[in-house]
Amino acid sequence: MADVLYTNVRIFDGGGEAPFTGDVLVQGNTISRVVKTAHGQRLPPSSSMIAGAQVIDAGGAFLMPGMVEAHTHFSWNDQPSLDAIQRMPPEEHILWCAEVAKKYLDMGWTSCVGAAAAKPRLDVVIRNAINDGTIVGPRYLAASQEITVPGGLGDTTQPHLPQPEFAFGAIVSGAEEMRRCVRMFAKYGVDSLKINLSGESITGMPGEMSQFTEEEIRVCVEEAKAWGKRVAAHARSAWSVKQCVKQGIEVIYHASFTDEEALDMLEAKKLEHFVAPGLAWLINTSHHASQWGLTPEVTKKMGYHRELEAAIDSMKAMRKRGIRILPGGDYGFAWTPHGTNAKDLEYFVRHVGMSTMEALLSATAWGGPMMKMGKRIGYIREGCLADLLLIDGDPLADITVLQDKARILSVMKDGQWHRAPPVRNARATRWAA
Amino acid sequence: MADTLFTNVRILDGTGTQPYAGSVLVSGNRIRQVGRSTAPITPGGATVIDGAGATLMPGMVEAHTHFSWNDAASLGAIQAMPLEEHVLWCAKVARRYLEAGFTSCVGAACAKPRLDVVIRNAIESGQIPGPRYLAASQEITVLGGLGDETLPHLPFPEFSFGVNVCGADEMRKAVRLFLKYGVDSIKLNLSGDNFTPQSPAETTWMLDEEVAAAMREVKIRGKRGIAHARSSDSVKQALRHGIDLIYHASFVDNEALDMLEAAKDRVFVAPGIAILYAMLHEAEPFGITNAMATQMGYQIEWDAALESLSKMHKRGIRVLPGGDYGFAFTPHCQNARDLEFFVKYLGFTPMEAIRATTVYGGQIMMRGHELGAVKDGFLADLLLVDGDPLANLSILRDPKRILAVMKDGVFAKSPAMASQRAWGQAA
Repeated sequence: MADVLYTNVRIFDGGGEAPFTGDVLVQGNTISRVVKTAHGQRLPPSSSMIAGAQVIDAGGAFLMPGMVEAHTHFSWNDQPSLDAIQRMPPEEHILWCAEVAKKYLDMGWTSCVGAAAAKPRLDVVIRNAINDGTIVGPRYLAASQEITVPGGLGDTTQPHLPQPEFAFGAIVSGAEEMRRCVRMFAKYGVDSLKINLSGESITGMPGEMSQFTEEEIRVCVEEAKAWGKRVAAHARSAWSVKQCVKQGIEVIYHASFTDEEALDMLEAKKLEHFVAPGLAWLINTSHHASQWGLTPEVTKKMGYHRELEAAIDSMKAMRKRGIRILPGGDYGFAWTPHGTNAKDLEYFVRHVGMSTMEALLSATAWGGPMMKMGKRIGYIREGCLADLLLIDGDPLADITVLQDKARILSVMKDGQWHRAPPVRNARATRWAA
Repeated sequence: MADTLFTNVRILDGTGTQPYAGSVLVSGNRIRQVGRSTAPITPGGATVIDGAGATLMPGMVEAHTHFSWNDAASLGAIQAMPLEEHVLWCAKVARRYLEAGFTSCVGAACAKPRLDVVIRNAIESGQIPGPRYLAASQEITVLGGLGDETLPHLPFPEFSFGVNVCGADEMRKAVRLFLKYGVDSIKLNLSGDNFTPQSPAETTWMLDEEVAAAMREVKIRGKRGIAHARSSDSVKQALRHGIDLIYHASFVDNEALDMLEAAKDRVFVAPGIAILYAMLHEAEPFGITNAMATQMGYQIEWDAALESLSKMHKRGIRVLPGGDYGFAFTPHCQNARDLEFFVKYLGFTPMEAIRATTVYGGQIMMRGHELGAVKDGFLADLLLVDGDPLANLSILRDPKRILAVMKDGVFAKSPAMASQRAWGQAA
């Protein structure tokens, strides 16, 4: 692909400063020049530099780094139950995942962190297929299935149907079963292990309950680290959040219930952890799932309203302490369909008290380390990888524009157009109309 | 999608009529009008594609397709691909066939039980792009026959490329399972194949009871039986049991020819001769020299097949192109090469070769009344080709010469057009 020069763009560079007007030159897969032009601070790239480049005159549109989804489940299939996800046969399931991967890129998520797959190899296969060009999709870190205990979140077997194939998660009991399970997923080639440390109210085990023994968790982390893998935890309860800090589980999903001790522990190691609360699940399960039989009365009884309040309080407290809270999470259920993930940024602004700038940074600058890519993505700076979104509108003024595909004028990943801006084709051909 | 009008095209309609200049209006998913005048049809609201003299012909039909063969050099290597990767491979190949101009494909067997069915369903639901597709079962074979890839110390069915059955009851069960999965056709390996030396091409393996049991189940559900039949005995066995799609038919004696001719209104033969040629002349990079291929029996089969197929063609038996692309020596999407082989080796005229992949193709898709020709009311599966395929069939396997592919009224590959619209932020 030819080099690309964006001219006349408002650049949000991921550094937290106000956007500036300028030009951005992409060569190969890298951002090679970023120039402020509004006040003549620097000269625009010389004509020799841009010779042959495709010039995109953006007319003042907003250029920002591609977004990073911190808690992605490609294999959740927009169904209302874990069982309905699990029941999809593997052949259909992999095609579904491929379709969803493309959808995320369509919506501006140029990187996604897999947070668990519904069958053992789905995430790994999709990551590999994206990397070798078989399918299109974001940069992706592949997760294991959810590792859980008998009766815990993810155990969807029934007494008369005890076969492991019926389970949504991988069920272990005891340290040695845990070790075997982690090794199996490591063999399959996952980037991270997902462990369900706490319950989940909709499955009958409340979110405040924690089912694993410390020994089982220790073995999980020990094995994962021996293989160079990351561990991520479903951790709604305060105990489970503390376990994450204590045992070195880097990625903490949910963290709805926290006490002072948990917050202090997290704050003390705030650069070693990421929190992705997945507020969309709590908000929409509590208030927008009546169509699927989960009326507010039902979900209140389940405890989701109380958990939502607790989660908002926890996130506010974490934000004040400078703990990194990232967007994304648990999209892929019937009432949180894939592709609507940018709502998380709106929730951060509306419920957690973030500024629109903080919300944007949570999806960009913090996304790089979440992807284990440091500062190579998440910024528009010279030398960074060219993951770029051109937005019609100003997300700093209205964060919801990022939810609208029509406002995302173009998506570039690794210097390649996933969706090019509509430009005029100057070449006429003999088949022209 | 908006209606489309192709103007200034040379229409090669598939029926055997010499090409003529004209215009074709597509409305919805059907050809609404074929104009034989140089004065174009009034476009109305249709998008106008000025063909500037390019050839407009029916989409091609591949009569013997294996999406799940993964361009590997052995059955074992195809089988060893894990399920998830295999599905994505099939999806990718389906898209490539469509873009190469094959708007319909007849599945001839898949390498794992549900691959063909799932791909067909995903194409039909619009989830992935691909040709119209008839989904096949795995190859059903007998112990030791073509497709039995188990090893003595690894007897597990998952190791097998095909499904191994022994006896009428096991056959019935295997067929019922595939019918439950939703296949359009059941593939039976009646003969051996020189590719698997333990079961060479001229051997015939199945009992009549086994074939009869399979075909009873197939007929009850209104599906189709299809056969791998290289030997003369296997061709006759297929015909005796009402199998109307015969793959290969390399060795046929006079009795078999007479039986084929007697059934020619219902029978299709898709020989897949490319693999025979490739094994003899193009497999050396993969370790199979001409001497080895000859030793395996490929020269004898090649000679026999040319004679058999030429005779069939003379007797008016429908012989169709396509077959066994998807091996290392016959990679996917070179399939149109079969048309050249038909002319060069089987005595076809170029027009007959085109008819075999278009009009006969519609018939093998079981939609001869609406598929395979550029005719009023037919389904709009169309190719716009740069050049004259009758003068040079090889242009049909050159992606650059396939200017546009339309399936069901929608472009799968759009013709290059200058945009009339400028955009506010355009460069």
